[in-house]
Amino acid sequence: MARNEAPASPSLGITRQSFLLGALVFAASPLLRCLPVKAAGGFDVAEVAPGVYVHQGRYEMQSPENRGDMANAAFIVGDEAVAVIDTLGSAVVGRELRQAIRAVTDKPIRYVINTHMHPDHVFGNAAFKEDNPTFVGHYKMARGLASRADQYLATNNRMLGEAAFEGIEIVLPTLAVEDKLTLDLGNRPLVLEAQPTAHTDNDLIVTDTKTGTLFLGDLLFSVHVPTLDGSIKGWLTLIDALEKRQVARVVPGHGPHAMELPEAFAPEQRYLATIAEDVRHLIAEGKTLEDATKTAGFSERDAWKLFDQYHVRNVTAAFAELEWE
Amino acid sequence: MSLSLKTVAQACGAAVLALALLPTSSAIAKTDLWPILKQQTFGDRAIQVDDGMVVLEAPSAIDDAALVPLTVRVPPHVKQDLKSLTLIIDNNPDPVIATLTFGPAAGNGGERSFSTRVRIEDFSHVRAILETEDGNLHMASKFVAAAGGCAAMMAKDPDAETVDLGKMIVKTFPPAVDSNPIWSGQVMIKHPNNNGMQLDINTAKPIPARFVREMTVKRGGELVFQMDSTFSISTNPNFRFTFGRGEDNDLDVTIVDTDQTVFAGHSDPRGS
Repeated sequence: MARNEAPASPSLGITRQSFLLGALVFAASPLLRCLPVKAAGGFDVAEVAPGVYVHQGRYEMQSPENRGDMANAAFIVGDEAVAVIDTLGSAVVGRELRQAIRAVTDKPIRYVINTHMHPDHVFGNAAFKEDNPTFVGHYKMARGLASRADQYLATNNRMLGEAAFEGIEIVLPTLAVEDKLTLDLGNRPLVLEAQPTAHTDNDLIVTDTKTGTLFLGDLLFSVHVPTLDGSIKGWLTLIDALEKRQVARVVPGHGPHAMELPEAFAPEQRYLATIAEDVRHLIAEGKTLEDATKTAGFSERDAWKLFDQYHVRNVTAAFAELEWE
Repeated sequence: MSLSLKTVAQACGAAVLALALLPTSSAIAKTDLWPILKQQTFGDRAIQVDDGMVVLEAPSAIDDAALVPLTVRVPPHVKQDLKSLTLIIDNNPDPVIATLTFGPAAGNGGERSFSTRVRIEDFSHVRAILETEDGNLHMASKFVAAAGGCAAMMAKDPDAETVDLGKMIVKTFPPAVDSNPIWSGQVMIKHPNNNGMQLDINTAKPIPARFVREMTVKRGGELVFQMDSTFSISTNPNFRFTFGRGEDNDLDVTIVDTDQTVFAGHSDPRGS
């Protein structure tokens, strides 16, 4: 989709359109147009703003065919160095991301930032070890990832197959963000902010202040159904705060290369609010967790990809949280 | 710091990883532990299998191995009082995950049931063995395809879980029709139910086991059931059960964990 578009227009006159699965906004807004960059082997990245490159993963579960390429990853080029934001779901595609960076710049890769602990965002970390970067994450990410490591490795080994699993290892952050931290790539400050429990208990967001690009990780899902591994109440509260941010564009963890606030959050907010409302209603009626997994939130089924793969788990987590209200 | 596959396996128990790395078909073909478990738990007593006296409900495909809902039902056509109920997950560590001994307030005259949420370590048979008043044993079982490893024992937000430890909610639900003498109750307690297999990332040592080991539920001073349990009950243990209608239908619940901490709860007054 992005690959066929014209170079970015200097016009700032944006007509806000109602949000329809991201794609329409994307096509309509000059600010969100991006330049295609082709890398070897068909691995695509798009330049969504000067010096900001985003790779869009597939809306799929991990498989031998997609080799763990099912989340968004990005890199930012400063005057002196490069920062990578998420590394995809295997060392194999992590290496392709690294090649794409090398096709753009020879500057050193100084930081590898993970937006949270999930394998589809961190299992490519191993591909960057040769650059000896600082690995950066939320201060709770190391605990979260280390304690789930055996499960993540086993599951991904099974789902990816031997070829795509090759080279994967758990690489934990060497620099932990407790609250707010600024990294400089040379005339290019990146602001990293640790978030309270929402999608997970270790979500980290990154702002490239030079272009006003906000990387939300999996705090923002578009098209791909959200996955709840933290707190539904915390997530809904955080959306209320994040959607008010004044930025030129946001990059979701799953979805188009770039989107606009506040519309970008609307479908996710509706999905989570629907689950919360349905589950609270069932709890008030004395219904069980099993009852909830059969009915809550099913009005959202046609609005998302991978609904059948993740929705029941989301409802289960929401129920276990909300029954304590 | 990076953890290799090997160190993680050593930390969490190599058996879990070794099994998980095998194709799933091999996992299913693992040694059948049931004959040994049966002998250890019930000796030479005969067990009637799938005779309709007890029904076990569990999802066949698991979305979250740390939170698998199990429900045991005793259909209304069963008229006997109940003596005990044993829940077994063959391939979990400490497979006998809960044993309930029923008292005079357990009720009779309608469908009786018991539900909880459990952790399932591995592809496994899950079994419910009911002992009726005549001393006979009846079993229902289900094969569950869930594999969590020790990570399944991890809370989503471990810091939040420790804040309210011991908070308890006890609820009662009257039957839909007044002629039904069977009420429902629910007990929830905030408790991590640590199994001793989780790794503390700061010390690289296991977090000490601490879990609910005993629960007693009484209605008006009469025993509904007493339960012995293990760490296979999910974080924030949650139980739904039935009991017989009484003069009043308030429940008193006592829970004891492995640290010998005693937690007491009482149902909210209903209809008064």
